[in-house]
Amino acid sequence: MKKASSSAVLSTAIVCYLFWLVITGQIVSIFRGAPSAQVLIAGLVVSFLVALFSARFFIHEKPFYLLTKLPAYLTYCFVIFPIELWKANVDVAMRALSPQLPVNPGIVKIPSNMKSEYGQAMLANSITLTPGTITMDITEEEGQTYYYIHWIDVASSDPVEAGEAIKGTLESWTGRIWE
Amino acid sequence: MRIVIDLLIVISIFFAFAGVVGMLRMPDAFCRMQSSTNIATLGVLGVIIGGVLYAAIYLHDGGMAVKLVFMGIFYIITNPIAGHAICRGGYKHGVRPEKKYEVDKYGEDMVEE
Repeated sequence: MKKASSSAVLSTAIVCYLFWLVITGQIVSIFRGAPSAQVLIAGLVVSFLVALFSARFFIHEKPFYLLTKLPAYLTYCFVIFPIELWKANVDVAMRALSPQLPVNPGIVKIPSNMKSEYGQAMLANSITLTPGTITMDITEEEGQTYYYIHWIDVASSDPVEAGEAIKGTLESWTGRIWE
Repeated sequence: MRIVIDLLIVISIFFAFAGVVGMLRMPDAFCRMQSSTNIATLGVLGVIIGGVLYAAIYLHDGGMAVKLVFMGIFYIITNPIAGHAICRGGYKHGVRPEKKYEVDKYGEDMVEE
């Protein structure tokens, strides 16, 4: 396993430290102007120690890349993805509650255009988090990445058509962030 | 504002209910997993967002609100990974639906290997 760069350690430490501030409640104290120096310094030391050991698991690519794409990322997280989530949730809830139980489950294989490791993970997790579809596996064949997706209502077994139905807007937005 | 909070919690209870009904009615293990993500997303997020608003506006407890936000974030991060792992582990271990799927690319490709 490759060694973590110093910027990877730094970014991991920043994340750890922010988390420390939140769970100790210091972030509220800072806004009120009365933070406890002892807690702040202890957190700094601990988060750097943790970052030294864990950065190589946490950061695999450019550490601060996401900050350059922050607007697209926030739009995706707070606008695009919740809309998709709501639509899919209503759909699956209606299926579960309707008397005929209109399901036609199956596992389809769809191609993905994501190149970056984080992009693939983000797209796969977005698909899993949307009710009605679960990513079962990711494989790579001849340079093209494929997802195996368990789909509750198989509309088409053709890879490209099924892919369009499952990951339409999700992929264009994750692609905008990671590529 | 109180109405918004109540509405969020009622919506999430509805989706949790639909998820449980789905879990009982769906034909096989993987479809039950699908239905359970219904509870896992809007069912939990509605309660958490409602709780954040309630803690921030009525209890004046910023720490609690921030902790709830973090609960939501970590929930969103860990839930799909667990769902994916359960599904894949189950399939590899030999769990199969009672009625064979019309389309099952994963099973076909596994036999070829």
